[in-house]
Amino acid sequence: MPVWQVALVLNLTFAVGLGLGYAGWGRRAEALDREIDAARTQVERLERERQACAAGARAGEQQWQGRGVVRAVYPQLVVITHEEIRGLLPARTTGFRASAPALRDPIRVGDAIRFSLRGTVADDAALVAIERW
Amino acid sequence: MRALLLAALWVHLASCVLLTGAFFMLLLAGPPAASSARRWDGMVVAWSRLLVLAALGSGIVWLLARTAVFENRPHAALEARAVWRAALDTWPGLVWLARHGLLIALGAFLAIRADIAERRNWIAARGEGLALATLALALMSGSSHAAAISPGTVWAVASDAAHLMGTGLWVGALVPLVLLLRAAGREDGADSRLYAVRAARRFSRAALITMVLLMGSGVMNAIVQVESIAGLAGTTHGRLLLAKLAVLVPILVLAAVNRRHVLPGLADMGGLATGPPSPPNARRAPGNPGRSSNRPIMRRLAGFVRLEAGLALVLLALAAAMTLTTPARHGDPVWPLPFRFSLDALLDLPATRWRALLGSQLALLGLVALTVSLLVRRRRALVLTGALALVAIGACVGLPPLVVDAYPTTYRRPLVTYHAGAIAAGMAIYGEHCATCHGATGAGDGATSRPLADLRVPPASRRHAGELFWLVTHGIPEGGMPDFGSRLGEAQRWDVINFIRALGAADGSRRIGREIEPEGAWLIAPDFTISVGPLAPGALRDYRGRRMVLLVLYTLPGSLARMMELARSYNVLSVIGVEVVAVPTQASPEAISELGSSPPVLFPVVTDGSADIAATYRMFAPGPHAELLIDRQGYVRAIWREDLGGMPRAAAVQSQVEKLNEEKSPPPFPDDHVH
Repeated sequence: MPVWQVALVLNLTFAVGLGLGYAGWGRRAEALDREIDAARTQVERLERERQACAAGARAGEQQWQGRGVVRAVYPQLVVITHEEIRGLLPARTTGFRASAPALRDPIRVGDAIRFSLRGTVADDAALVAIERW
Repeated sequence: MRALLLAALWVHLASCVLLTGAFFMLLLAGPPAASSARRWDGMVVAWSRLLVLAALGSGIVWLLARTAVFENRPHAALEARAVWRAALDTWPGLVWLARHGLLIALGAFLAIRADIAERRNWIAARGEGLALATLALALMSGSSHAAAISPGTVWAVASDAAHLMGTGLWVGALVPLVLLLRAAGREDGADSRLYAVRAARRFSRAALITMVLLMGSGVMNAIVQVESIAGLAGTTHGRLLLAKLAVLVPILVLAAVNRRHVLPGLADMGGLATGPPSPPNARRAPGNPGRSSNRPIMRRLAGFVRLEAGLALVLLALAAAMTLTTPARHGDPVWPLPFRFSLDALLDLPATRWRALLGSQLALLGLVALTVSLLVRRRRALVLTGALALVAIGACVGLPPLVVDAYPTTYRRPLVTYHAGAIAAGMAIYGEHCATCHGATGAGDGATSRPLADLRVPPASRRHAGELFWLVTHGIPEGGMPDFGSRLGEAQRWDVINFIRALGAADGSRRIGREIEPEGAWLIAPDFTISVGPLAPGALRDYRGRRMVLLVLYTLPGSLARMMELARSYNVLSVIGVEVVAVPTQASPEAISELGSSPPVLFPVVTDGSADIAATYRMFAPGPHAELLIDRQGYVRAIWREDLGGMPRAAAVQSQVEKLNEEKSPPPFPDDHVH
């Protein structure tokens, strides 16, 4: 085989190898990363559902834990400046519905608290437990 | 370990550069026809095989040494798992794998002893060698200092790769050129002299283009990796670059002599018709320039090129050392001179402005003459001498007025950021150690027999932070100022300097009123920690580039009505891009509950560390209640003081926010350190 053909084949091999390497291996690696993230999220969600189930929740409901400072207390709502609630909300100030009126009785504005939320999504998550931090 | 790394890197870099240049030179010279030229071609390829082995061997040593450095254990270099990790789990390791894969492919390609008698086969073989060697060399920039530059990584890597390729094509080709000239200069090399002359002429033209590429990419690299004159003169990386330039000068002189004086003599020999005629003023080789005088000129050229190649190898050693040092932009410069040049000196001594102006114009004229001397041929020496004289006179006249004192720490980067905590700490230290002489406000009106410089205004406020650090550390014996290097820790000395800078800023902050000035972004808002209860704390700088901040310094009960108004209008302020951060003057963990629950206060109220924030910002806005509007870039743009005009009204604050929202070209983000 003439050398110029060998050089051509070698260069084509590099180019095709690089292209296929990216198209195949690179994309596969990205897909695997996405799958791992999805599986991790699923495991966390199932763990929250298991906790919620153990505490007497309905099927499909999850339970989240959070820490924050009480900013306002209304008859049906408690406004809390909270840290990130994993799997639900980033750190911010949010108003949460209290599942029972008695929950908000012992707290007042400025208190640092730990709290539990239960629900299926952020919109229907309600406070089910509050304790001082 | 460092010496081993340097040696391995130098051998590796030199091998890759020589490989690239070898194939480039072979292609420049073209397929050899004469027997001595064919011998040269074979010898270069044989050397290339050895260079591939040297590159692979030194590359392996480099990887082992890097593994030991990564793992911080010398024995890790001999552990297969650690080396495996370094190669597969680090970015430099992956780049190493890719490059050495290319070198192995090149070695395998060179090991094939195929028939390349046909022209296109010869070109394909040498071209493939050049492509693989160049790629292996240029990929080094993928794990160099340039790859760590952000933002602008792509440009930095591209510039670095171009610099490496230029080095390979120019420096690497010098050695095979020497071999060719020596072969042609021998008694039995007569048949390849024409071939050698043609190759030398082609290389000369190619080297000129490569030199332009090298200089352009070198300047780009210096801009992104060195950044400043202080970095160039005051860091190991910068000094190595200066040493590189010092070695480059004789190389360029040799190259110019070769191109202008030696090569034209060779070109006219033997009836060689290719290439342009030599310049009329080019000096011919002494004696008869006929074919009989070929060999001495060729040997002289070979000697000069060998010297060039030797210096170029020193250049590569310096480049390898630069790779192993911290880039100047990240280093802490140690200024080597007792003076520096500063235009600020003209502000303090207006009478010297004319002298600086005259000097600059003379030097400018000299530079124009210098450019002209490069373009004209008649009386070039005279014009060049005049140009250099003008530049020298201009420098002698214009530079002395710009001279100011400098110290080794002049360009040192402060250890402590411009933070409210540091300023408050500096305030306490200043009160204890400095206020007696410099006065409580830094005005220089302390209890000394003679007044001292006002620290708040120029020229004292124009001094670099690093200069203040030197003076605080070592004192001013002739002025009676003691040294504090032995009494205060380094962080404490920087705290004091941060406070002195804040004193100057506070003096200027009186110019900032309740209305936004269009070009008024100069007062940097010192950063502070925002702690709300036991939650993870945030910082003022977290809002940069995202939201404006209305910093409210309040005192209860006087501020209660305004705080209630803010609580009610928080929704509106939030929608128009403002975060309200409230800081009580009296630090209290109960700060939130003290504001009551109706209306609810939903903006951050600092419950921890408020004393430092209040102490710092009270310097800009004294009084029981003050509000400072900080723009998205981090500059204080408006100040409302209760004692000057009463409490701000919601509508007034909102109208100023609207003005900031309409600003078209925001200023750059301020640095986190004082200068």
